[in-house]
Amino acid sequence: MRQCLLCEQEFIPPIKFAQIFSLKNFRQPKICFHCLNQFEKLTGNRCSVCSKMMEQGIICSDCKKWQKIYQGEVLHNSALYRYNSAFHDLMVAYKRRGDYVLREVLQELSWDYLSKTEFDYYIPVPTSPGHQVKRQFDTISAVYGDIVSLTPLLAKKEGSHAQGEKNKEERLKTPQSFFIDKTIKIKENIQTGKVLLLDDIYTTGRTLYHARDCLKSRFPGMHIESFSICR
Amino acid sequence: MEDLTLLSGRQWIINQKDSSTLEDCSKVPVIENGLCNRCGSKVECKLPSGKLYCRACIGLGRANEGDILVRCQNASQFSKLPNGGMTWNGQLTTLQQKISDNLVLNFKQKKSSLVHAVTGAGKTEMLFQLIAECMKNGKRACIATPRIDVVNELFPRFEAAFAEIEIGKYHGREYQEPNLDQLTICTTHQLLKFYEAFDLLVIDEVDSFPYVGNDQLHFAAKNAVKKDGVRVYLTATPTEDLLEEVKQGKIEILKLNRRFHGGLLPVPREKLFIKPFLNKKGQIHANLLAEVKKVVKSEHPLLIFVPRIEQIPIYLAALKKKLKDNNVKIVGVHAQDSQRIEKVAAFRERKYDILLTTTILERGVTFKNVWVIIVAADDPIYTAASLVQIAGRVGRAKEDKTGLVLYCYHRYTKNIRSSIKQIKGMNK
Repeated sequence: MRQCLLCEQEFIPPIKFAQIFSLKNFRQPKICFHCLNQFEKLTGNRCSVCSKMMEQGIICSDCKKWQKIYQGEVLHNSALYRYNSAFHDLMVAYKRRGDYVLREVLQELSWDYLSKTEFDYYIPVPTSPGHQVKRQFDTISAVYGDIVSLTPLLAKKEGSHAQGEKNKEERLKTPQSFFIDKTIKIKENIQTGKVLLLDDIYTTGRTLYHARDCLKSRFPGMHIESFSICR
Repeated sequence: MEDLTLLSGRQWIINQKDSSTLEDCSKVPVIENGLCNRCGSKVECKLPSGKLYCRACIGLGRANEGDILVRCQNASQFSKLPNGGMTWNGQLTTLQQKISDNLVLNFKQKKSSLVHAVTGAGKTEMLFQLIAECMKNGKRACIATPRIDVVNELFPRFEAAFAEIEIGKYHGREYQEPNLDQLTICTTHQLLKFYEAFDLLVIDEVDSFPYVGNDQLHFAAKNAVKKDGVRVYLTATPTEDLLEEVKQGKIEILKLNRRFHGGLLPVPREKLFIKPFLNKKGQIHANLLAEVKKVVKSEHPLLIFVPRIEQIPIYLAALKKKLKDNNVKIVGVHAQDSQRIEKVAAFRERKYDILLTTTILERGVTFKNVWVIIVAADDPIYTAASLVQIAGRVGRAKEDKTGLVLYCYHRYTKNIRSSIKQIKGMNK
């Protein structure tokens, strides 16, 4: 019996067949079946660039805009879940209230996918220093740091507002606020390395494109993709 | 220095580095010995720094180990109005008056009470003279209840009854600046923000979710009342822990076994089902349908309770299909429904014949002449208290004192038996 991190009810985690015979340690589920089902997986027809679910078509309207702005150099983003109300509630509890332990729920949602990826560098999107002091943790690194080895190459300037508090137009107009943290040691091969940018939610793409711009200005040969749990 | 008069009786968290002078305030560490001093919960989760934080009351702002809980304890001053600011001049029945007098007497003697009154006894009116007594002495009172709906229903009634008193209304769905009110009406969750604030704390519907069995809210209720303050509990179905306190002589039980109109409580009829209420094709059980049709024919509005929100649309579709020839208007309502208030109001005005719902409408609501069917009364979601409350929706009007309460079940449960025993017991 375990207690679900979200609904606090006791539940019995399902036992997988492979688990019985495997010598490996399996991650124990942190949330119950019912709560897990509240999170909607991205399925069916999806945007080939950013993974957004669509009725029809190959590229979503957001990505078409980025295609214009960046002359075709779009950022490929993998996402796993739809940003529905259950996810919204989870993110409010995790980020706004600062319920640190909920990072384990986000890990549960992304662990299987992320641990199978093979990139040279995993770079988390940073949070503003002010928020971090208040929360006493970094929301993105706290989730992904246990799954892959992180290279926190990006830093964020003070005084930038949270994206979550803005509407779509304001989000798109947000100026660049990332810079390269020069104190981080890097190896030679980063110039042409394969990099995965890590964020929690992809809404307009503004944040992740800024992060890529910042990296590209310093390392033009870098191959950059991104990952967000939600789209 | 800040003016703290409006925060009298409240508690809040400040950072360790915050050095503002707070007069008449006591300070305690918010996390102490692995327990949260604000909500009493055990604290187990840690931040990366290794410091503990409380998850249980995180909705009020995170309490971190090392933070300070400030409790404002300056003496609040209220004017002593001769009649306690009461503008109500209605009439109580003899039985109601007896309870009301007892409450006033117990308050004067600083004795806590438990009012065990049947559903539809008119509990709110019995509180008026008690509140007036408290206000008259310039003292502070709070009426707390677990349900937001009940707060919203109580507030206008007290506003009308105490036109000369400033009343505060607080619950989690609407933001309200903290104010110093002589009378506060709020949810039991809001009590977490108070410390030794009230001379009188009334908790209405003590047996209902989420207060019942919730240690955090019991802790809050204990802390919110002054050391020499008086507690009053109101319920139609007292819980074991309260009855235990009665036995130990800590609180006095006041019983009211008659509804204000003098009629008996309708005793539920039970009906055993062998096959499922809905078969695999989504068709409704013929006997259940027959019962629904009987009510429709009698021209009473019908409340149908189902255990889970997800089942509402399924039953709704099944019933609509079967009853479409009878020209019956059906609607479903649940806790997250954005049109909840409108739908309930429309049902009250008889714009619908049948309302499908869950336990959210089990208490605090009155529909004239309504009859009730509980589908799957054996479901664990229905406690004995819930069942008594649901049955209590029927026969509340003076002109129509009886009616149908039907339990449909597959398995006769302890809760079904206990609820019927309680209802019969109150009718004796």
